[in-house]
Amino acid sequence: MAQLFYDHLIVIEEITAVLDEHTLTKEERAELLRLIDQTLHHEILDTIFTHLPKEHHETFLTRFHIAPHDAKLLEFLQEATSVDIEGEIFKTANRVKRHALSTIAKAKKETK
Amino acid sequence: MMPVQLHTSKLRLALERQARHTGRKLRKNHPHAVSFLEKRGIVPGKLREHAARIATTGALAGAMLLTQPIAQQVRSATSAIAQMTTEQLQQKLTSELVSVLPKEMSLLTPTQEQQIANIVQTLWGVRAVPELDGERLNRSYGFIGAEQHLPRFPGDSVDQHDGFQRSGITPGLGAWGYFAPSKQMLTQDLIEKEKWYVAVQTLYLPDWNTRFRYLRDWYKYRKVLVINPTNGKTVAAVVADAGPANWTGKHYGGSPEVMAYLGLNVGMQKGAVVLFFVDDANNEIPLGPVEYNFKLR
Repeated sequence: MAQLFYDHLIVIEEITAVLDEHTLTKEERAELLRLIDQTLHHEILDTIFTHLPKEHHETFLTRFHIAPHDAKLLEFLQEATSVDIEGEIFKTANRVKRHALSTIAKAKKETK
Repeated sequence: MMPVQLHTSKLRLALERQARHTGRKLRKNHPHAVSFLEKRGIVPGKLREHAARIATTGALAGAMLLTQPIAQQVRSATSAIAQMTTEQLQQKLTSELVSVLPKEMSLLTPTQEQQIANIVQTLWGVRAVPELDGERLNRSYGFIGAEQHLPRFPGDSVDQHDGFQRSGITPGLGAWGYFAPSKQMLTQDLIEKEKWYVAVQTLYLPDWNTRFRYLRDWYKYRKVLVINPTNGKTVAAVVADAGPANWTGKHYGGSPEVMAYLGLNVGMQKGAVVLFFVDDANNEIPLGPVEYNFKLR
């Protein structure tokens, strides 16, 4: 079961696949994914509150706080915003993913 | 072709920087939303943990509904805590921490940290967190060792301190200098701060040098909760010095008063403690021993 109503819009398998090309301990892998997950939530929340009119913020926060997995939250956002919010969240998640992949690429080093 | 390895510490640092940056951006753009979540114990970057808790609570609540209404359950648990003595609260804290903390000294996982924050919130009514405003120490569980008194003003000497004079006074200043520019300007608040101080390893923060000015100010007198998991004794203190060095095998330092209250001023004067930041923007939690539930008093 999804833990968050927007989980289906986050596709991070590409990141895990890149990380799994390297020898990481279980803890290292979990820590790196945790940090990427944090950035994802920050950016997705930023996207939501940027597009959601202010008068709906409290209703959304209250409902989200009580049931973060509730798929109806997306319906609520779609009705209350004037943009394709599902598409916006997806774009944000993709942007974070691309940034994370580029960060991982920069952290690669060649060994003799 | 040469094999390619991942520079994990560099990657971790870069990802930490991104997470902090986006956290600050969210706070700046939508402070009311962040405040709403934090007031309910939800860290925006850790929504998944909140969601997992909700899922667990939901399952538990489902089971409990068969026997007793939820509100009644919550009321009876709250009422039981309100009636506990300090010793009973400390015993309960110890027994709950035993099941969460690792058997050997090691870094806590985010799940363990969240569980501890929940336990502390329930028993002491204090919101104590391993990460606050996007800042965190390199560890939230480690060994604390005894420190001496710190000079509070120019000309301060150990015989001018209220107690634990045998602990001595450091020959140099604490990392943030004197507490007051003169004895006349030493307030009761500053006296308490020196009495209940800890040293933390700010020097080993990955971004200490690059964000020095901000971090120096952020950590100065930052309120923390220090818990001795073996006896449940808990003390609210402030950060007033940096250290100790890693080679000492210790991760934090405690003032003579802190160490005595925690029961760690004996033998090797060292012991394992949990050290979390206190989210106390309104300065409601006084420094010193924590001996009752602040929410239920």
